Amino acid sequence: MRGQSIKVGDVFAWEMSRREFLGMGAVALGGLALSSIPFAPWLLGSGKAPARGNAHLPPVNFDREVYTLCEQCVWRCGLRAKVLNGKVYKLDGNPYHPHSNGMLCPRGQAGVATLYDPDRLRFPMMRAGDRGSGLWKRISWDDALNYTAQKMQAIKQQFGAEALVFSSTHNLAQTQFENLLRAFGSPNYGTQRSLCFNAMIIANLMTFGMQEPDRDYSAAEYIIYTGRNLAEAISNSETQDMIAAIARGAKVVVLDPRFTKSASKATEWLPIRPGGDLAFFLAMLHVLVTEELYAKNFVAQYTVGFDDLAKAIKPYTPEWAASKTEIPAATTRRIAREFALAAPHAFVHNNWRTSNFVNSFQAERAMAIMNAITGNWQQPGGLFPSAGEGGIPLGAPPQPPYPRVSALRLDGVPSKYPLVPLDIGVFQEIREAILAEKPYPAHGWFVYRQNPIASLPERRKTLQAFSKLDFVVTIDTTMNDTAWFSDVVLPEASYLERYDPLTVVGDAVFLRQPAVDPLGESKSALWMFKELGTRLGLQDYFQYKDDEDYLRQQLQPLGVTLEEVKAKGFYRPPAPAAAATDFKFDTPSGKIELSSLSLAKSNFPAVPVWQEPPAPLADQFYLLTGKVAYHTQFSTQNNKLLHELFPKNTVWIHTTPAATRGIKDGDAVYVESPAGKVKTTAQVTEGIRPDCVYMTPGFGHLSKGTRTSYGEGASDSELHLTFSDPASGGQALTQTFVKVYKA
Amino acid sequence: MTAQNKKRWGMVIETKRCIDCKACMIACEIENQVPLGKHRNWVGHVGPTGTFPVLGLRFEPGNCMHCENPPCLRVCPTGATYQREDGLVLIDYDKCIGCRYCMQACPYDARYFDPARGVVDKCTFCVHRIDAGQPPACVETCVGGARHYGDLNDPNSEVSKLLATNEHSVLYEEAGTEPKIFYIS
Repeated sequence: MRGQSIKVGDVFAWEMSRREFLGMGAVALGGLALSSIPFAPWLLGSGKAPARGNAHLPPVNFDREVYTLCEQCVWRCGLRAKVLNGKVYKLDGNPYHPHSNGMLCPRGQAGVATLYDPDRLRFPMMRAGDRGSGLWKRISWDDALNYTAQKMQAIKQQFGAEALVFSSTHNLAQTQFENLLRAFGSPNYGTQRSLCFNAMIIANLMTFGMQEPDRDYSAAEYIIYTGRNLAEAISNSETQDMIAAIARGAKVVVLDPRFTKSASKATEWLPIRPGGDLAFFLAMLHVLVTEELYAKNFVAQYTVGFDDLAKAIKPYTPEWAASKTEIPAATTRRIAREFALAAPHAFVHNNWRTSNFVNSFQAERAMAIMNAITGNWQQPGGLFPSAGEGGIPLGAPPQPPYPRVSALRLDGVPSKYPLVPLDIGVFQEIREAILAEKPYPAHGWFVYRQNPIASLPERRKTLQAFSKLDFVVTIDTTMNDTAWFSDVVLPEASYLERYDPLTVVGDAVFLRQPAVDPLGESKSALWMFKELGTRLGLQDYFQYKDDEDYLRQQLQPLGVTLEEVKAKGFYRPPAPAAAATDFKFDTPSGKIELSSLSLAKSNFPAVPVWQEPPAPLADQFYLLTGKVAYHTQFSTQNNKLLHELFPKNTVWIHTTPAATRGIKDGDAVYVESPAGKVKTTAQVTEGIRPDCVYMTPGFGHLSKGTRTSYGEGASDSELHLTFSDPASGGQALTQTFVKVYKA
Repeated sequence: MTAQNKKRWGMVIETKRCIDCKACMIACEIENQVPLGKHRNWVGHVGPTGTFPVLGLRFEPGNCMHCENPPCLRVCPTGATYQREDGLVLIDYDKCIGCRYCMQACPYDARYFDPARGVVDKCTFCVHRIDAGQPPACVETCVGGARHYGDLNDPNSEVSKLLATNEHSVLYEEAGTEPKIFYIS
């Protein structure tokens, strides 16, 4: 193989082919790179020495600037791709996009290293050895699509469409992936949300009738966070907003067992005991109600169930809460009063990373109700109804109705989880059902740009579940852990090389469009789903000629051409004549439900109640998780620039328990849970509660196909146990307790 | 050009706005094609200081201070390091022989040796962008809005206004380098 390009039909071992792949990279890029502008060696992957002397000056003029959308996380900032000699030289924020406001975070800036990652998938391939052996055969697109469609069809004919699981994580082509699975007829669909913020979504739905209200930072005087570390879990514009609010003097309270960078920016940091947030907010509600600090007129006019709430929260005094939260009663009482004083220019952030304990749903309900009874609704500095992504109606290709599906869902929605929306689901329960073969065995898994092997708790179980399946196909841009254990891997063009369906943000439509040609044979998802659909006999569901035709059909009702939208990457239709004046809550009562009819109907507590979370034994720690600014979930660790900033995770441990265990900063340690054991490096710090340890996710990759990140750090998914909250289906990620000892 | 309208570039950094995201570092690395492993700018950490739960943590972004009185310039044997009329301290790479005296002289450790090109390099204040009327890459992308740049000679510039209305400091003032990167904490 050495010295030759891998051709269709060749079998190769990925980790052996490093030189081969680099060689191909140089061939593919060489013709483009020989200009007067030297790209850094990491970008070329060729090690070519840059120009000497004053020739090495950065360009200011580019062949073109392409306005498109970032995909280094789910926030989808607008960006400008500066293209020179057929290559993206630099990405800058798009000043016209409300998510970036002209700025990009480190991940967004590092997008060129994702685009030019030497480990990018360049052609379709098929497993040529055991799963995970790293032996692959290059195949043509025709063979890849025919084989995939044939395997999908075989599963459908033999076991029914429901025997094929589909899963994907928040992305713009997801609507077409959902189109494919609905047309195919499988009810089994997994998203990442139960690993993230199901508790928040369901609590907001039950309270306000919407998944997540908007927040007005511009006039907020008081903000409480309990699971949103915006300084590190960056959502660009919201992070900008938080910093601006702090800079102009808004009071920001952060409850976190760990001294995060957000905590360091806050006015007040409360190192709350894990699982105690519910007690904190119940006690806050107690103070607001008993001291009559709530917005009486607003409560009377816009809410239902206040009396039930008032009765229920009676026992939850700040003194009662103190032992649960380890926050002094006086502090809780003071914060409740301060918050009420600042209201309605105040909000309790509903947070994102709320999958902590099975009581997190109750905590989210209590937070939503805090906002409701203080009247923080449609007031400057409060919460606002969100139009979500449906603010501007778009066109769509015509299609027949979907086949009726009668099979039960593997994740137990709605039979076991009546409150969870079908398009959100309970992802970890799919894996459990595959293992249990109940209510029926699954036979295949179609993964579109997602990494369940890395993300689901109890990685060993996920690997076992894969071994039970006849067929696994993964679409991605790199050989992530899930692709590594798949049968067929289809290479998607990166976000800088493809079109995706349009997205609506606020009052404008935004476009992702290619800045440069796709690498190798990589293709857009729109193209792949249409080609697969056609081969499955589902062509009527994919009535678009190509990606641009799909977009033209989406734009059709707006009376604007694709060419016009391409120029600046967005279109803002003229404002509607009159905005709707009277907002109606989409709840059974049409009001904000302090006491929820839907919850009562499904036999859940209608008003928030205390649920005692489990606690670790004396020699154990709560295992905390949380993001760093330099990585997104499981997908950016192979980016060379981000790897340089943050190559691997550690385990944070407080000075005192570290000393008892003879652990010094930088020591190799084992972290062990009932699910597994990992070896990692101790980071001894004062910045965490002594009963907690912390690992950021996304490390400890198994795939040798991601050569920059392979072998770096440890996987927290190896340690997490699987617990689903019965109300929201949220995976309780902090309910895993670990031991830490010197390696 | 008269003395009044001569530009004098400088930066003001509001440390309280810095979240240590290091977007400035990545932006610079790409914009200026800095070799992997080298950096022209940085985010320094002070902390966490104190004992749980009374803790402090401060971030201090920096880059070449474009000193009014640059020690790097004085030690350069070939005249490669020079100061432009607008105060920017730059390197003529055709003249640099890679002796690295300047690296020793810089109290801010702002310079690095680029082995592939055999020269010393550092922050240019994105002079190519400035001259084209664009902000430096680190300033443009700063998510926290901590980094500001502008003409210190113009009383109406953002930097002049920030300096006029806030207490500020420079790093290693005692070194007498007269840095033009100012810090507001």
